[in-house]
Amino acid sequence: MNDFVWLVRREFWENKAIWVMPACIGALMIVATLFGTVEVTLLNTSGQQSELAAALSLLAVGGVFWAAMSIYTVWYLLDCLYADRKDRSVLFFKSLPLTDSATVFSKLFVALIAIPLVYLVAADLSALLMAFVISVRARLGFGSILWRPELWLQQQVLWLYVIVTGILWYLPIVGWLLLVSAWAKRAVILQAILPPLAIMLAEHLFLRSHAASLLFRDRLLGGSYVALHHPINWSLKNGEMTPGVWQLPDPVGFLSSVDVWVGVLIGAAFIAGAVQLRKRRTDA
Amino acid sequence: MTSPSPLIEARGLSKRYGSFVALNRADFVVQPGRIVGLIGPNGAGKTTALRAVLGLTTYEGELSVLGREPFAERALLMREASFIADVAVLPAWLRVHQAIDFVAGVHPRFRRERAVAMLAKTDIGTQRRIGELSKGMKTMVHLALTMAIDARLLVLDEPTLGLDIIARRSFYDALVNDYMDDTRTIVITTHQVEEVENLLTDVLFIDKGHIVLDCSVEDIGARYAAVEVADDRIAAAREERPFYERRALGKTLLYFEGADRAKLRGLGEVGVPSVADLFVAKVSAERAA
Repeated sequence: MNDFVWLVRREFWENKAIWVMPACIGALMIVATLFGTVEVTLLNTSGQQSELAAALSLLAVGGVFWAAMSIYTVWYLLDCLYADRKDRSVLFFKSLPLTDSATVFSKLFVALIAIPLVYLVAADLSALLMAFVISVRARLGFGSILWRPELWLQQQVLWLYVIVTGILWYLPIVGWLLLVSAWAKRAVILQAILPPLAIMLAEHLFLRSHAASLLFRDRLLGGSYVALHHPINWSLKNGEMTPGVWQLPDPVGFLSSVDVWVGVLIGAAFIAGAVQLRKRRTDA
Repeated sequence: MTSPSPLIEARGLSKRYGSFVALNRADFVVQPGRIVGLIGPNGAGKTTALRAVLGLTTYEGELSVLGREPFAERALLMREASFIADVAVLPAWLRVHQAIDFVAGVHPRFRRERAVAMLAKTDIGTQRRIGELSKGMKTMVHLALTMAIDARLLVLDEPTLGLDIIARRSFYDALVNDYMDDTRTIVITTHQVEEVENLLTDVLFIDKGHIVLDCSVEDIGARYAAVEVADDRIAAAREERPFYERRALGKTLLYFEGADRAKLRGLGEVGVPSVADLFVAKVSAERAA
């Protein structure tokens, strides 16, 4: 356990971008709110509508962080078992009494749990500061709407729900990226993208079907369809959004989806493969 | 050399990379308390042998290191064994104090104060990043970290490659003066034999994946002789079956193994070959055979 803490700490030493990037994004957002002059018409409309606007702006802040996090995490996963083979420092880490599985799991932990939590904290801090700035700057008391506790609670619950379902849903992709990171001797990004492309192309050319393309597309983009209730028909009734944010998550539907668990199995197999490669490969 | 439990024992150790045979049924034994030089030309299989010993690669054959099977139990093995696989493999992003903290955190046999004391003798600041240090400084940091570990086995693979002569000398001085005692065993590979010649207690010569010679340094004098033979006696000397001949600067040196000293003295001036000379003689003879 102690070793694991050190391994995770090591990741934060090496990859400062884990916290520097969200800090910069948050700072930019706050600067934009401080000096921005965009007048959103919604800000000047009725209380009911501005409530929706408040919820949406919080969601938008979260969305920006989520997008940045996804891109960074992909890069992190591709780099984490490759960089130390490239600079040969793997030979230093392998001279210490640390198992290869602990090493791989420390990287998995950082990618799937530590990074999302850092981004969640950054999104919250940024949203809080932005709400504060808006409260001070805005006319018509729009700012006060941002200070409703349930709005924040909703945001936290939604984030955590998306993190947990995201981990399970994207595990095959995560596992694949780790496998490539442990395998590749160069050009990690190409080696991650080319095999699925080749499969899609081969299927298209020889079988004249697109099952693989559909499978990859659904895995990349379809997570929210499984994790959230669908279809969502947003509407405003008496100033309340229906369905409310609380009604969005569909944990029972998600956990009983075969697609989720097949993906988890494939992801686990890729991760096991990455551990085996990690044991064998010391150069890049 | 009759200790019942060798530290490293390899029987029929083999490793192939595709069609290239890096190790071909190599047998060797390393006893505790020795400083063993694993000596061979480039591509002879030195690094492969060490990687197998350290659990960094799969292999065929039997291999036991500190009573463990290295590949399956690398993490456990590294509690008692340690290695520097060539200089400058500390990651550039790491700060010196982080390196100390990290090793102290994960290694139960690390003596922090020893590493700190050793670094205090240098002018390497602990806040500095490894990437900012010169190659010699990186080596000293790595050596300070490694020597602060109470390991029974230390493996060094070309530890001074790329270092200038001053850094090389201080590396070996630190190793011999501050580290080595009779509870420890060191295995060291290098192709600069002259540099380690007087540290070694044993030599293992390796060529083309084979162990060519496994011998203690003190036995070299008893087993081998280099005789400087005058031209008119060469025919007579060849009767004694030298395994290697070399002509240099107008002299002819004949190398003998297990020959009768009294007879050799009759042929010319008898000397003990240096490790480097013996290595060249053994490997050349092996290749000619």
